[in-house]
Amino acid sequence: MRTIIIRLIHSIQISLEAESISPDKFAPLTLSQINALEIWQGNRKMKLEDFFQVDGDEGSAKTEDMFVRLEGDFSRIKRLVEGMSNGIVEVYGNVGMHAGAKMKGGILRIMGDASDWLGREMQGGKITVSGNVGNYAGSGYRGEKCGMRGGEVEIHGNAGALLGEHMCGGSIFVHGDVGDFPGSLNQGGTIIIGGSTYLPGAEMGNGTITIKGPARLLPSYQQLEIVDIEGIKYRKYVGDLVENGKGELFLAEAQSS
Amino acid sequence: MIVHEDVICSFCGCLCDDLTVEVEDNQVKRVKHSCRLGASKLMGHDRIKTPMIRQNGELTEVSYQEAYDKAAEILLRAKHPLLYGWASTVCEAQKKGILLAEEVGGILDSTATVCHGPSVIGIEEKGLAGATLGQVKNRADLLVFWGCNPAEAHPRHTLRYSSNVCGKFTSEGRKCKKVIVVDVRETRTSKNADKFIRLKPGSDYEVISALRMILSGKAEILPDEIGGVSKAELISLVELLKSAKFGALFFGLGVTHSRGRYKNIDNALSLIAELNAQTKFIIQPMRGHYNVAGIGQVAAWETGFPMAIDFSRGMPYFNPGETAACDVLARQDTDAALVIAADPASNFPRSVVEYLAKIPVIQIDPHENPTTFLADVVIPSAVAGIEAEGTAYRMDGMSLRVKKIVESSYPSDEEVVHNIIASVRRLRSNVIVEGGT
Amino acid sequence: MIIRGGIIYDPTNGIFGEEMDLCIEKGRVVEDAKGEEIDARGLLVMPGGVDAHSHIAGGKVNTGRIMRPDDSRSGVEPRTRVCRPSTGYTVPNCYAIGYRYAKLGYTTAFEAATPIISARHTHEELEEIPIVDKGALTLFGNNWQVMESVRDKDIAKLSAFIAWGLRAARGYGVKIVNPGGGEAWGFGSNVKGIHDTVPNFDITPADIIRGLAQANEMLRLPHSIHLHFNNLGKPGNYATAIETLELLKDIKPSRMRQVVHVAHMQFSAYGGTSWRDFESKAPAIADYMNQNSHATMDMGQLLFGSATTMTADAPLEYSNARLTHNKWSNLDLELEEASGVVPMIYFRKALVNAIQWAIGLELALLTKDSWKVLMTTDHPNGSPFVNYPEVISLLMSKPKRDAEMATLHEQVSKRTVLANVDRELDWGDITVMTRAAPARVLGLEDKGHLGIGADADIAIYDLKPEDVDPSMDYQLVKKAMATTKYTIKSGLIVAKQGEILAVPEGRTYWVDASVPKADMDRLMIDLNEKFEKYYSIRLSNYMVQDAYIPNPAVIKAGLELESGSLVKEVA
Repeated sequence: MRTIIIRLIHSIQISLEAESISPDKFAPLTLSQINALEIWQGNRKMKLEDFFQVDGDEGSAKTEDMFVRLEGDFSRIKRLVEGMSNGIVEVYGNVGMHAGAKMKGGILRIMGDASDWLGREMQGGKITVSGNVGNYAGSGYRGEKCGMRGGEVEIHGNAGALLGEHMCGGSIFVHGDVGDFPGSLNQGGTIIIGGSTYLPGAEMGNGTITIKGPARLLPSYQQLEIVDIEGIKYRKYVGDLVENGKGELFLAEAQSS
Repeated sequence: MIVHEDVICSFCGCLCDDLTVEVEDNQVKRVKHSCRLGASKLMGHDRIKTPMIRQNGELTEVSYQEAYDKAAEILLRAKHPLLYGWASTVCEAQKKGILLAEEVGGILDSTATVCHGPSVIGIEEKGLAGATLGQVKNRADLLVFWGCNPAEAHPRHTLRYSSNVCGKFTSEGRKCKKVIVVDVRETRTSKNADKFIRLKPGSDYEVISALRMILSGKAEILPDEIGGVSKAELISLVELLKSAKFGALFFGLGVTHSRGRYKNIDNALSLIAELNAQTKFIIQPMRGHYNVAGIGQVAAWETGFPMAIDFSRGMPYFNPGETAACDVLARQDTDAALVIAADPASNFPRSVVEYLAKIPVIQIDPHENPTTFLADVVIPSAVAGIEAEGTAYRMDGMSLRVKKIVESSYPSDEEVVHNIIASVRRLRSNVIVEGGT
Repeated sequence: MIIRGGIIYDPTNGIFGEEMDLCIEKGRVVEDAKGEEIDARGLLVMPGGVDAHSHIAGGKVNTGRIMRPDDSRSGVEPRTRVCRPSTGYTVPNCYAIGYRYAKLGYTTAFEAATPIISARHTHEELEEIPIVDKGALTLFGNNWQVMESVRDKDIAKLSAFIAWGLRAARGYGVKIVNPGGGEAWGFGSNVKGIHDTVPNFDITPADIIRGLAQANEMLRLPHSIHLHFNNLGKPGNYATAIETLELLKDIKPSRMRQVVHVAHMQFSAYGGTSWRDFESKAPAIADYMNQNSHATMDMGQLLFGSATTMTADAPLEYSNARLTHNKWSNLDLELEEASGVVPMIYFRKALVNAIQWAIGLELALLTKDSWKVLMTTDHPNGSPFVNYPEVISLLMSKPKRDAEMATLHEQVSKRTVLANVDRELDWGDITVMTRAAPARVLGLEDKGHLGIGADADIAIYDLKPEDVDPSMDYQLVKKAMATTKYTIKSGLIVAKQGEILAVPEGRTYWVDASVPKADMDRLMIDLNEKFEKYYSIRLSNYMVQDAYIPNPAVIKAGLELESGSLVKEVA
């Protein structure tokens, strides 16, 4: 394992775009080359060292042998580890928008909160968040047919609206509550919600959504049988029938309204 | 006295082009055929008299050139400037605005962010089946006004284009048309409707889903009541929609800014697409400012995107929710703002306005408004459509050339932005601004 | 400027691969010139490309952009010292359109369908497209005034309306799309054939087409009618295509050109009774084209991958949207037209798409005379225009076609004859199909050739025709055609090896046709009534103003001119 530690040394006002902070980018580079990587702050092209202190092992490594540790409040830093294919990244602090977007593999662990578009268009790998996340986790880009296609996202806190919009594959597990319209326009994938939500699976064509807490359901879902999953009784629904959808929605029976 | 015929009203998205305006001593004396909103705009009101720069807390008169240079300096110093507004000005100024945003590496966004931005996102999901307002006039025998109130906001819409006008296949006017209003409260529009359906606030999405279910023959799955409306009433509504020879649904901020936002529009667009399998139906947003549709068009052909465009990395990046004016202001992720033909101080949430007050603000506007009080550079301009000509797009996407009917000593918005670009270019070559783009 | 030693292809002037110097002065080809020299020794040199049918500006195109941020986010290039940023693939922004055409060696492009009522918008976009010269064809096929004049058999009034409409729209020629179908779509239906009655107007599509063709020739317009057939995009529609062409056989052209140009024939050369037994009828169409000389066509080649379909054939777009369950935009335009936009992906593995792909190629290869076939992809309906090099390399190489065929559904070789077509086009054919013929079909006398006095629009490719066998070296051909070594527009080097060096403003062609005052007066009575009663826009605000055509190139036509001053045929 080659370890790289990135510490934020300044407070950030205008957010940074830091897709260069990624095990793929770091792997072949020396520490001084990493220091010189491009980071954008608004319209200014800057260097990584302008904002961060870089420590860790010298020399190059394979991506799968990379361990990157981020320390500090990264909540105003966008596009962290975008397109990451392998290795492990741990963040001790919050992260900004688009963390883990287009991620293909590896592990991203966030010990804090994440902002909007966490794991946008994710294809593989695993993201865990100890805190809450913003809107559009695991979703797609505007106008695209497909959001998250693969991989796993686990969120221990709550998630915002439009979780997994246009999801085509992979799985998202939120332990807490989820905002409006999770799993809308889904064509596949699995979403598990530990807490409450509102109008899940709007226009879902395919996929599975399981909700353990209270939820308001769309009138366009048809209730089928009661099923038992791991000792909990769920009402099973199919929908969204406005789209002749074959999505499956499970709502814990105690919570059905 | 000079009488101008067929003057185009530069107030709302109806862009009525049949006004008669009497001008005497270079002043508008009388406006005929317009609604009171349009007449009030054309008659004019208090103007910002000269350019001003805030010095020691006070707005102080300066020359235009000093104001342009100061504006350029602010924009060049900023790392993430916001260029906001653009809805109440002409396309020629909007084009220059996009060039300025490119030159300074800023964000360009329009007032759609606080009105029909969600409609645009809905269109990105589904597309929109529309028609020009004349097509509606000639053919529509069923009009649905959903979450909008043209009687108050677009007073001549019904008289020129929709419910109360005669056309080729609607020669009996209102008599041969049915009008349905769907809203959360009674309005002046609903009082004149043949049918009023009152929804529980925030239930638009569910009700639209229910209508789609009924339309596709799945009514039996629905509960007895959706959004405060009985299933039976929704079934009869669908029958009415299907019975139209040509139906037109107009929607407003009641749908775009209630719970569900763009999902409401997204769902409504699908409803209309499905209705077309059984009859003819179109849907149109009721756009507010007279050229808010224009900034969407201009931005799309110039950049590929209709709003919320961030040029900070030298190429357009579009992601409403991240790059819209309200987003960057709410996140305090912008460090200077140019506001043109808009009034964010009145229309944005208080916390956002408080932040706006902290950063340098450049205002370009003919008229003083609450934004003036937090501006650091104020540049008065001519009123487009009265003192300056140019292109505007009606709510249905039809473009018209608004006219100049009185002379003005103020520069047009286009000239102001052009001159700021010139100052930006000059300052950039003269002065080394840190970083730079 | 002198271009030294290029291998020149200029079919209009009978030059097929001769080593020659080209002299340029004041934006034109001249006998002799001084100044900058460009070394083009051994390189392929052609006139600048001319695209006679492309959707590059106006309401439909912008609707495509607005509903497809997914497309606009591809192809993003930052601003440079001379360029504005580029975006998009199938629906590029205005700047990208100009730059990408220039890099391909194209210097002229015509927008194929503009309703009069929204022509101002079209010109706003055309004005923003840099470098290339342009024009816009004007839609007439569903216009109430047209249909009423046809019903009244008043061709003189119809001619007056075309002249008025071209002026109102600053348009170049008469475009007809699914005549009668757009009107029927106003109440949600369509016409099913050329002898179907158009609702409320008591005429047929056949009447509209013939009437407009007669009026077009009465006005001696530089271009013929430009026709998108009824039933386009439907299995079995080749019969409609041939039936429609038969309608026009007896009409005499007023100029040395076709009587009808058929838009994107690929979409109208379909056999079968449904998508299940769908097959190519390109051989039947090509036979017809080989036996008759009153028509020209463009390919409308379809390529696999992303496209955005956009057309005034609104009912077609609705069926596209239902068929593919994709986004659907529509705009009906009062008294005139309708239109629709639907994104599309053509799949190599989908049999129907593969047959469509083959049909375009069959049309081009089975029609013997290259002057009758323009190369297009009906951008962006079949594919974006940036893929023209792919089409060229397919037309020039049987091995390439065979390699492609090997990846397709086995039924393709049964439902098309492409596998048995050995013809490989040469550089002369390609020059004809991409430059010389489009210019002649449009009636642009100074375009598409390199004779003395021609516009100095020139493409120099980094390919030595004497060293390259396009049949075998098809990858090289595709690469060379994608990026010119030099593109010269009006005597100015605008692109060099893929880099844009200069962004001059192109000209906008429109046709100013004169008609007898008496006919115009009769027409205005009708039009005044329409604007009073039916339009939502006042007549005085309707016409496109001069401000929107900053660089006009006006071609005169019409009835009141001496015929001698009009007919200046291209050799």
